[in-house]
Amino acid sequence: MAGTGKAHLRDPEQTLLRAEDLVVEFPIGGTGAKVHAVSGISIDLVEGETLGLVGESGCGKSTTGKAIMAIPKPTSGSIKLDQVELTSLDDESLRRTRPVLQMIFQDPISALNPRRTVRDIIAEPLVVWWEEEEGRPATSVLFERYGRLFQRVAGVITKPLHYLMPLAFAALVLWIVSEAVEQRAWEGALGWTQVPAQIIGFPVLAALVAIGAVLLAMGLLWLGLGFIVPFGVVSKVLGKVSPAVGLAAAAFATATAVFMVWRTWNSFTGWPAWVLRFHLIGIAAVVVAWFVASLLKPSRAGASGIAAALVAVVALQAFYLAGLDGVPKLGVFVLSAVIDLVLFRLVRKQAAVRAEELRARAEPKVREMLETVGINPDTALDRKPYEFSGGQAQRLSIARALILDPKVIICDEPVSALDVSVQAQILNLLEEMKARYGLTLVFIAHDLAVVKNVSDRVAVMYLGKICEVARPDELFANPAHPYSQLLLSAIPHPDPLIEAHVTQVAADLPSPVDPPSGCRFRTRCPLAQERCASEEPEIREVAPEQFVACHFPLVGEAAQ
Amino acid sequence: MSYTNGSDPIGGVSDTVDDHAPVLVVKNLTTTFATPRGPLTAVDDVSFTLRRGTALGIVGESGSGKSVTARSIMRLLPKSNVTTTGEVSINGIDMMALSAKELRAMWGPEVAMVFQDPLGSLNPVMRIGDQVAEGLRIHHKVSRKEARATALQLLRSVGIPSPQTRLDEYPHQLSGGMRQRVVIAIALSCGPKLLIADEPTTALDVTVQAQILDLLSDQQSERHMPLVLITHDLGVVAGRTQEVIVMYAGRIMERARTPVLFRDMKMPYTEALFRSIPKVEYPSHTKLAIIPGRPPTMVGAVRGCRFAPRCRYAQSRCVEEEPELTPAVDRDHVYRCFYPVGTPEGEQALEINRSNGRLTPEGELVGVS
Repeated sequence: MAGTGKAHLRDPEQTLLRAEDLVVEFPIGGTGAKVHAVSGISIDLVEGETLGLVGESGCGKSTTGKAIMAIPKPTSGSIKLDQVELTSLDDESLRRTRPVLQMIFQDPISALNPRRTVRDIIAEPLVVWWEEEEGRPATSVLFERYGRLFQRVAGVITKPLHYLMPLAFAALVLWIVSEAVEQRAWEGALGWTQVPAQIIGFPVLAALVAIGAVLLAMGLLWLGLGFIVPFGVVSKVLGKVSPAVGLAAAAFATATAVFMVWRTWNSFTGWPAWVLRFHLIGIAAVVVAWFVASLLKPSRAGASGIAAALVAVVALQAFYLAGLDGVPKLGVFVLSAVIDLVLFRLVRKQAAVRAEELRARAEPKVREMLETVGINPDTALDRKPYEFSGGQAQRLSIARALILDPKVIICDEPVSALDVSVQAQILNLLEEMKARYGLTLVFIAHDLAVVKNVSDRVAVMYLGKICEVARPDELFANPAHPYSQLLLSAIPHPDPLIEAHVTQVAADLPSPVDPPSGCRFRTRCPLAQERCASEEPEIREVAPEQFVACHFPLVGEAAQ
Repeated sequence: MSYTNGSDPIGGVSDTVDDHAPVLVVKNLTTTFATPRGPLTAVDDVSFTLRRGTALGIVGESGSGKSVTARSIMRLLPKSNVTTTGEVSINGIDMMALSAKELRAMWGPEVAMVFQDPLGSLNPVMRIGDQVAEGLRIHHKVSRKEARATALQLLRSVGIPSPQTRLDEYPHQLSGGMRQRVVIAIALSCGPKLLIADEPTTALDVTVQAQILDLLSDQQSERHMPLVLITHDLGVVAGRTQEVIVMYAGRIMERARTPVLFRDMKMPYTEALFRSIPKVEYPSHTKLAIIPGRPPTMVGAVRGCRFAPRCRYAQSRCVEEEPELTPAVDRDHVYRCFYPVGTPEGEQALEINRSNGRLTPEGELVGVS
């Protein structure tokens, strides 16, 4: 095999999905070597067709499936979906193609989030795109966008917060007690406390340090969380705000923040000043960032502006207090921390309300989908994926892929992890869904009998190249490529009278890091000649609708 | 008990032993798990014997109790929440009566097992040579050098290319098929008198699957060693076993010599399993016959035939009482059904179900997509 070429491709006008010269290479860390996972594959699908991709592990069939989804983007080559080139799209535009192009994975249990209910899992795609349509990106999308930053900050913050909050509280209590004790000792009523009182002075320091640390953490939390949660929620609760209003609000918020920092910068002295300043800078940075964001993306300016203003006003109140004479510094610290916490709680609650609303709206559609894939919605909706068997979980994956009414679904070994009897159920279900929704499928599997059953066209892959493309009935009756023949001979027959005659070949695939020259199959091919090492075969038609990349095909004029 | 220290791990045991003496005898084996919902009977009254040199296939869906049967025979199940009753004897040694120490002496020289996931059964931080040699060092008390030489021979005999370099490599450096070969080499290292392979090829590609199955059958016939091959795929047992047991919900549903089973299956469950396999001979887009629903959970008492709710042949009698294992025409062929496939009773049952609307005119269960 191992051929390049596009003889098997059809008229671009007719095809729904078309991948040309797809190359995927994975660099091996530091060595400069590359894994040549997919090397110049071209495939196409007309609407309503199922293309079976078949080959051994490591032949690049799953990588091809993922490259079509651009996870990750192919190293080179072109993918056209409905005449739109996917490889040149930016991340956001690519994300917008996802409702049309869905995927079903091999292991149904790990493809479904074990901590969410079936209701949430199936509804999620719907909810995300409803929010999109209304110009309110769903929180999950924001998390995807800012997720890494959030994770890093949350990781740094949550642990110390958990330890420090009780510590701060305990220290505060000790401090009050020690104050009282000290006073009494001063009066001489309890002489024995004089010595401990010296030691008890320590909790005062501890209290201040702990509270200072909590505030420091809060400042960081603003930096991390501030980008995501308030923005997501404000945009959800308020919906579309006109960009002009948003810009005005953001400008006001920025002015407020700058004023706030300037006004309170010198209100404190000593180490508490630095903690407070850091906290201030955290909040101001969020506000300014939103202002900048709304300038850069006027379409989103409304929501960001309002969110910025909200934060600025709340923060301003706290810090205005700081400027007043007679308000103890500790009080300001505590108050600002409490305001932050309340705000976070509020934001989370609103997010929950909104999510509940969307879930209710999605329920009828979710129920319909579950029924379509043969799962009883009344019992399934509130259960979690691990409560289902493998076959049922695969049905859930199919429901999730179908809920957005996609055109193309890439099925990556959807039945390989299932029992034979369940496998038959899932295969029948896929066929039924295909007929019902007019789907176009890319079906990846290593089991030839399965591929034959579902496909309209089969592409046999080997080590990152295509060997043969043909209609399944022809391919199985008269394989033209020696590799196709090898695969066919390996199928176990459920009939003891048929002796298994596997063509004996070298056991393992050659390394994709350094693939063989010429035809990549030559090292295992029983028919290999010198020409196979020097010259890479091109894909050509050897029989009607049967295309093969081999110098010595088993079918056609050249066959002996 | 005497352990054959002298037996050659490569050539297997000598051929002078009586061929007709059963190597493995399982009688009324019942394994029950204590679960929060009550006792779960995973293996229910299973009996069979296995003679030297024969390969036995155990087939069934997930949850049919085939793996638990194997683990009960090996005594590999945890003690805390499992009760196993019945008799298991391997070469006349009563497995149920052995202490933990005596069991350790059994595993390896007497009985060995190959598991489904080769990566999970190899130690990731131990060199392959050492893992293969470990059993030899412990059971045959051979020197390090000798064990290494034998390990090399074993790797060669299971078809691993350049075994010399492989000896010093780690499992992650091998492909899935090569790893499974190493696992088989380990299982064979002490020259076991019985080999149990639990889904040895389920995690592997078709081409590799064929190679591993060939390897197992070659080793089995070469060593004249009985083999228990557990799988959910009827295609796997067809060419490589002499006898097949079909299990469902902890019970033996049908047992026959392999050619007989495929030619003349009597049990509707066997037929249903067979029909659900996509076959290469079918034209593409053939609608597959499926077994609707799932196997029952085996908690509490079960009335009637366990397969009845999913069976095309089931009548009211099947729900009421459970059929016994009935002998068929062929010697060694038994099945558990009142309305066997391919008999007048069976045809009649199908006809009745068709007329009372339980089956579609094509003979499929109603309400199944």
